[in-house]
Amino acid sequence: MFQNRAEGLALALPAALFAALVFLVPVVLLLSEGFRNADQWTLSAYVDFFSQPLNRTVFLRTLKLSALVTLVAAVIGYAAAYAIVSLPPGAKGRMVGLVVLPLMISPVARTYAWIVILGRTGIINQALQAIGLTDEPIRILFSETAIFIGLLQLFLPLMIISLISALENLPRDVVPAARVLGAGWLSVFWKIILPLTKEGLVIGGTLVFTGSMTAYITPAILGGSKVLMLETLLYQQVTVSNNFVAASVIAFILIVMSFAANILLKRIASARRSGK
Amino acid sequence: MSDQTYLSLENLSLAYGKTTAVKDLNLTIRKGELLALLGPSGCGKTTTMRAIAGLMNPVGGKIVLDGRDITHVPANKREIGLVFQSYALFPHLTVFENVAFGLRMKGVQGNELRQKVEAGLKSVGLLSFAERKATDLSGGQQQRVSLARSMVVQPKLLMLDEPLSNLDARLRLDMRSELQRLQKETGMTMIFVTHDQVEALALADKIVVMRNGAIEQIGTPEDIYNRPATDFVADFVGFENIFKLRDGKLIADGKEFALGAECPNAPGLAWRPGMVTLGEGPFSGTVLGVSFAGNIRGYVLDTPLGPIRAEVDAARPAYTLGEQVAFDLPVASAAPLHRVG
Amino acid sequence: MIRRLFTPLTLFLMMLFLIGPFLIIVAASFSAGETLAFPPQGFSFRWIIKVFTIESFRQSFGVSMFLAIGGTLAALILGIPASYAMSRYRLPFAETVRFLVSMPIIVPGIIVGLALLRYFVIPVGMSVTLALFVAHTALILPYAVRVVSASLANLRADIEEAAVILGSSRLGAFFRVVLPNIRGGILSAFILGFVTSFNQVPVSLFLSGPGVRTLPIDMLGYMENVFDPSIAALSSLLAFLSIGIVFAAERFLGFSRYV
Ligand SMILES: Nc1ncnc2c1ncn2[C@@H]1O[C@H](COP(=O)(O)OP(=O)(O)O)[C@@H](O)[C@H]1O
Ligand SMILES: [Mg+2]
Repeated sequence: MFQNRAEGLALALPAALFAALVFLVPVVLLLSEGFRNADQWTLSAYVDFFSQPLNRTVFLRTLKLSALVTLVAAVIGYAAAYAIVSLPPGAKGRMVGLVVLPLMISPVARTYAWIVILGRTGIINQALQAIGLTDEPIRILFSETAIFIGLLQLFLPLMIISLISALENLPRDVVPAARVLGAGWLSVFWKIILPLTKEGLVIGGTLVFTGSMTAYITPAILGGSKVLMLETLLYQQVTVSNNFVAASVIAFILIVMSFAANILLKRIASARRSGK
Repeated sequence: MSDQTYLSLENLSLAYGKTTAVKDLNLTIRKGELLALLGPSGCGKTTTMRAIAGLMNPVGGKIVLDGRDITHVPANKREIGLVFQSYALFPHLTVFENVAFGLRMKGVQGNELRQKVEAGLKSVGLLSFAERKATDLSGGQQQRVSLARSMVVQPKLLMLDEPLSNLDARLRLDMRSELQRLQKETGMTMIFVTHDQVEALALADKIVVMRNGAIEQIGTPEDIYNRPATDFVADFVGFENIFKLRDGKLIADGKEFALGAECPNAPGLAWRPGMVTLGEGPFSGTVLGVSFAGNIRGYVLDTPLGPIRAEVDAARPAYTLGEQVAFDLPVASAAPLHRVG
Repeated sequence: MIRRLFTPLTLFLMMLFLIGPFLIIVAASFSAGETLAFPPQGFSFRWIIKVFTIESFRQSFGVSMFLAIGGTLAALILGIPASYAMSRYRLPFAETVRFLVSMPIIVPGIIVGLALLRYFVIPVGMSVTLALFVAHTALILPYAVRVVSASLANLRADIEEAAVILGSSRLGAFFRVVLPNIRGGILSAFILGFVTSFNQVPVSLFLSGPGVRTLPIDMLGYMENVFDPSIAALSSLLAFLSIGIVFAAERFLGFSRYV
């Protein structure tokens, strides 16, 4: 009954055409702009882009913050996920619900909260002044620290969820078995848990890293116009300088970095397997 | 039972993409007949049924049902019932609604619908389950719902794909007699698929043995059981000693062996283990294995003809492992094969 | 001792970090004061009420609603047949189709919006509303296909054949036995698509025109200029709206089974 391939193709065609036409074609055109210069293929836009110190700073900052957020999210994520999976079933379900909950809330709202917390008159500064650690309010907002905190809060749930499902698929009793054999907690983690959950870590890591790389709202609200990341830089290039070529370069970098992160994380995971 | 052909498949060829599943199948069924499609897994039984039902377009040949060429009639206009091996019940509907589905498609409504559905459920003993979700029932019950669903629309032909193979041993016997009863009561023409020769022999009026997408033999259960036409069928129905024949001599291991009596003019001969005579005869072999099975004892002999399997009454004194035993392959009881290899 | 405290302490700190800021926003939206602050100065509903009186919020809320509902419906209308084709037929270009429809999840949204601006809005004069609609549809399409495909994968293909053999037409069989069995998946896809679209920022960044901008973009603009608790109030309202929808979906559909 489902032999007629033409019929199947006809059903899939509208979606495929739509995606190709409104998505693939314009995006590819946009990306190609960064490689063209008056009817010639060239890398000069990329050379230009990286020759400007500001761009280099922004590029490195984006990489650094994304990597840092991913790393910290992984560490916290393991602790949180391990704590959650060791809960009794009912409590576990509710806790997973609470972890997912923030994902349903607008990132604008979630990021906005940090203004109240990190601002000049925010909770942190009030607390610091109250206990006399500082007289002047210190500047946390519009800094890399603020962006880091905002990104971490935004994407941590993705890491936790990925690790929870990885930990739940851990074969029963491998951890107690290792403990009985005399392994300390650190070696249990390093030799048992990490190798057996690396798929989850790769998924979570890719989500967090690419999410951080391509986040707009967080650097826009918490970084201000000075502490830029690639997305906010792209936005500025278009709206302030009307520079579509630079925008295309940034767009290409974002896409390449997202893919590269995924491949790299997979590599690391499989390297650990073969290297024991 | 009329003598006229009711369903005929003429040179039917079926394929999945480029792989041929069934080639040049020819087959006729009379009205009211219960036909079994018998063959090992993958030989094309399901594929043949799906083509008859109209779920798959043949790449060649034609299908004629009740005097009408239905080769290009869409599945929903064929009035053929099919009980899927997986039952294929509608998970969102109750047992009642599952059975009512085909009737509703025919426009049956109200009281008539209720009566017919209830009669159908009653005939499979599931009337009290009418309001349950179909997929909440056990496997055997689901199968009967599926059967009732196909029967209430009174199809011209009812086909069942491996109706017994998903059931446990006891249910299988129940279902076997149930199918026989229903077929007797309704006089419906039925085709059922099985890979189990015992089932086919017990149920069918006519058996079609298939192999690799082609028919190996068509015949009554007696024909198939006693007079297998080919070495494949012989093997399938339990002839475990099969030999090629050339110039009236058995061929084994590249050598010729003369039999005690004159051979029929056939390319091969086959013996069931029980047909082999032990203790006397022109051949001899060493006992390789003995197995006790209640009233009989089975032997495997290592002989110049290759391994020979024999069965004798367990009351007779047993031969021991390694013992030399004389034996005979009596030509009189052998089944002559029409085709070997 | 430390081991016994590990679980509750970890969970408490994690929840404090994940949910705490949101609770602060909720508290701040009930402030009686003029500026955004925590602890809130007094208690009032003035900011909650004010949100409803701001004309631009009302407008952009409408735009966002239209995009979230319309875009999700369009994505489902495209995505359901495509998922169906990919799960039931042996498509010659199945991988290409799958890649095409899932791409919008891989490519950063800001690029999609920019590409549409650059090649449709500016040169061809496509309206911003249409561009937004198209962009949101493309964005939701991967989710729609993923969720619907998952429910189709859990449904046997032969029930459709059974329906056809019993006399139903092909299309009828789809509506009678396929659709009722994947309804939960479709509704879940709808909710996922709705929430995704409604909260989406990067795709819409470059696509705004006179009177046409999405609510989150409008909020970003507003908070740059005004530092009062109305954004907090609006954020809380929206958050409770999303949470309410998802909660109801989980209750009645078992949403999480599909996502
Ligand atoms: N959907 C399919 N696609 C490709 N080949 C198939 C498909 N279904 C069955 N086949 C092939 O067709 C042949 C016959 O299969 P089938 O009719 O299911 O056998 P049976 O029912 O006798 O076990 C087998 O070789 C099988 O591998
Ligand atoms: Mg089969």
